[in-house]
Amino acid sequence: MSLYRFELGKLLLNKKTISLLVCLFVLYSLIGFATSLFLIGSGDSYRVYEELAADYEGSLDAEKAAWAKKVYEEISTRYGTDSRMIARSIKDQPETMLALKYNEFAGRVDEYWNGTPPESAEEPYGIALLQLKLEELEEQEKQSTFEYKKLSDSLKILTALGEPKFANILLWENLFVNWGEHLMQFLLFVPLTFIIAPVFAVERETGMDHLILSSRSGRRKIVTAKLLSILTASVAFVVLYVAATFIFGFLPHASLHGWDAAIQSIPTYARSMFGFKAWQFAVIGAAWMIFTGAVYSLIVGLVSSRMKSQRGTVGVSLAILFINVGLAALGDAVTQRIQPLVDFGLANVTLIKEVFGGFKFFDVFGMNISYPVMALLVLGVMTLLIIFGIYQGQKGRTAA
Amino acid sequence: MELQFEDIEKSYKDKKVLKGISVTMGTGVYGLLGPNGAGKTTMIRIMADVLRPDKGRILYNGRNIHDVGDEYRAKIGYLPQDVGFYSDFTGRDYLEYSAALKGMEKAYAKKRIEELAYSVGLQEDLKRHCSTYSGGMQRRLGIAQALLDNPEILILDEPTSGLDPFERIKFRNIISAYSKDRLVLLSTHIVSDVEQIATRIMMMEYGTIRHIHSSREYIKMMENYVWLVEMPAEELVEYQKQAVISNVAAKGELMEVRVIAKSKPADNAVQTVPNLEDAYLYIFNFLPESKEVK
Repeated sequence: MSLYRFELGKLLLNKKTISLLVCLFVLYSLIGFATSLFLIGSGDSYRVYEELAADYEGSLDAEKAAWAKKVYEEISTRYGTDSRMIARSIKDQPETMLALKYNEFAGRVDEYWNGTPPESAEEPYGIALLQLKLEELEEQEKQSTFEYKKLSDSLKILTALGEPKFANILLWENLFVNWGEHLMQFLLFVPLTFIIAPVFAVERETGMDHLILSSRSGRRKIVTAKLLSILTASVAFVVLYVAATFIFGFLPHASLHGWDAAIQSIPTYARSMFGFKAWQFAVIGAAWMIFTGAVYSLIVGLVSSRMKSQRGTVGVSLAILFINVGLAALGDAVTQRIQPLVDFGLANVTLIKEVFGGFKFFDVFGMNISYPVMALLVLGVMTLLIIFGIYQGQKGRTAA
Repeated sequence: MELQFEDIEKSYKDKKVLKGISVTMGTGVYGLLGPNGAGKTTMIRIMADVLRPDKGRILYNGRNIHDVGDEYRAKIGYLPQDVGFYSDFTGRDYLEYSAALKGMEKAYAKKRIEELAYSVGLQEDLKRHCSTYSGGMQRRLGIAQALLDNPEILILDEPTSGLDPFERIKFRNIISAYSKDRLVLLSTHIVSDVEQIATRIMMMEYGTIRHIHSSREYIKMMENYVWLVEMPAEELVEYQKQAVISNVAAKGELMEVRVIAKSKPADNAVQTVPNLEDAYLYIFNFLPESKEVK
């Protein structure tokens, strides 16, 4: 008889968890549905927007940009400059909406060529700025430094990506907001914590650890079964979230338009260093969520193996998940000193927006490693250590 | 088959619970008797490999059980003092899960579950959730779990607590029938549980094993030390402050008091046939601790 089957039954395939999964599916579907509806007033408005946007797709047109700027100025005079306020006010006006989107796009094109101001604290971005910075370093004969290599690689990538193009990618943008913001962590990772927390801790709470630890399979095979059940539960949860938000995000307007547009068409991903199409990024984003969900679930498993109660496990796991949110609140002076903890803290690394949304490199023994690759390495090493820690913990575990 | 404890010590914080236990056990039923806090459960947990000693080792056929690992645990069946259950498991789930933990083949496990459910009288209740079982039923389910894979070493901690007299007799019969060519260690503070079936009985107190004898040897040790004294009920309260009394029974107007004493405790005292309970009281009241058995 398979221990895995029992462990999966305890963790996932039981009445309580299945009921929770059903409730969560409804919640995720509602979120997908509601956020999609909120983008634009109705199906008809979306159709109009889609038709209007079709004429605007492609490279920047100066005439259309001037019209868009004029509309934006009128709107901001009427509603202020708060983008959410504006979005709410014009969601039934497809033409105005298109103008605002096009105006944003014009800004991105400008940023692509001219970049961030040289005095900005942000990572240098934009063709002109990168060229300027590289020239400065060349004058100082710093061509062999990491900084030079980083800027040079950034320029190459940016040049290869080319000038952004306008596309109607409204529904995909909504999808990536649902997948890449902190809300996702609350909706997905927090319930996942409660589901995984009992995996080891329940043995202590129920007194079943005596039976387990004194049995032939109670030190190694049980860990394998529990690890597999943790991974299965975590994948099931993430797939549920991804599927519900995808299906119900596109369903209200029954359109997948923009599926082959570059992700740079989405404001949040305008500075992404990857030349993904929207559909490719959806696949990669989902895979990243599944991967990081699995790593986080293993962390919860490790905490559970060291704690006496499920409640304690939940508390410690959530603290680990959100530690860098807390640290970020302490201000730049603190975060700059603990940058790796912030970069590879779970609250950051689980967000596709953070990992794939910008130009970020790490100096690893002189090599220029991109953020996703570095995150993959860090999380991979972390996963191996967690698995080793859980096996070792069970080997030496005793029943009090 | 031989299981050898070598100078086992265990402390909880600064309290020493086991003080250098050294004992060798072969096949047969071993009873472990002692008052609460004697260290019986700690000794049993170390033997079941759910607790590690601070010092010393246990050798299974000459090999340290920690080195033998899975192979040693495959040989043992263990009934802990407090049997734990998952709230949503039925009796059958619990036994099937135990079988999976023991690495049993599916068909064999199914057969054993049916056999043992019948032996412990739970054949009609396996579909019910464990949480709905009475204390006695949970204990019987625990016993079935311990016997599931026909273990070579059976470790039972307070197996009869919560069982009614009929169930206790039935349990004793199961263990007696089972013990051939196997080692059964049965820890209890109920003397009658081990009196009939144990081949050797260990008396344990303050973290040491003080005596290991057969039931007959213990009883022989008590010859001439057990007395029956008749006295009025009103004298009994005062009398029991100074005497070791193993039983009191009403006999007409008077009380018949069973007294453990090295010399005649009263003029009207008459000697009687001793039993294991008398020996238990005698050892823990009269014999000095230094008589520890190594």
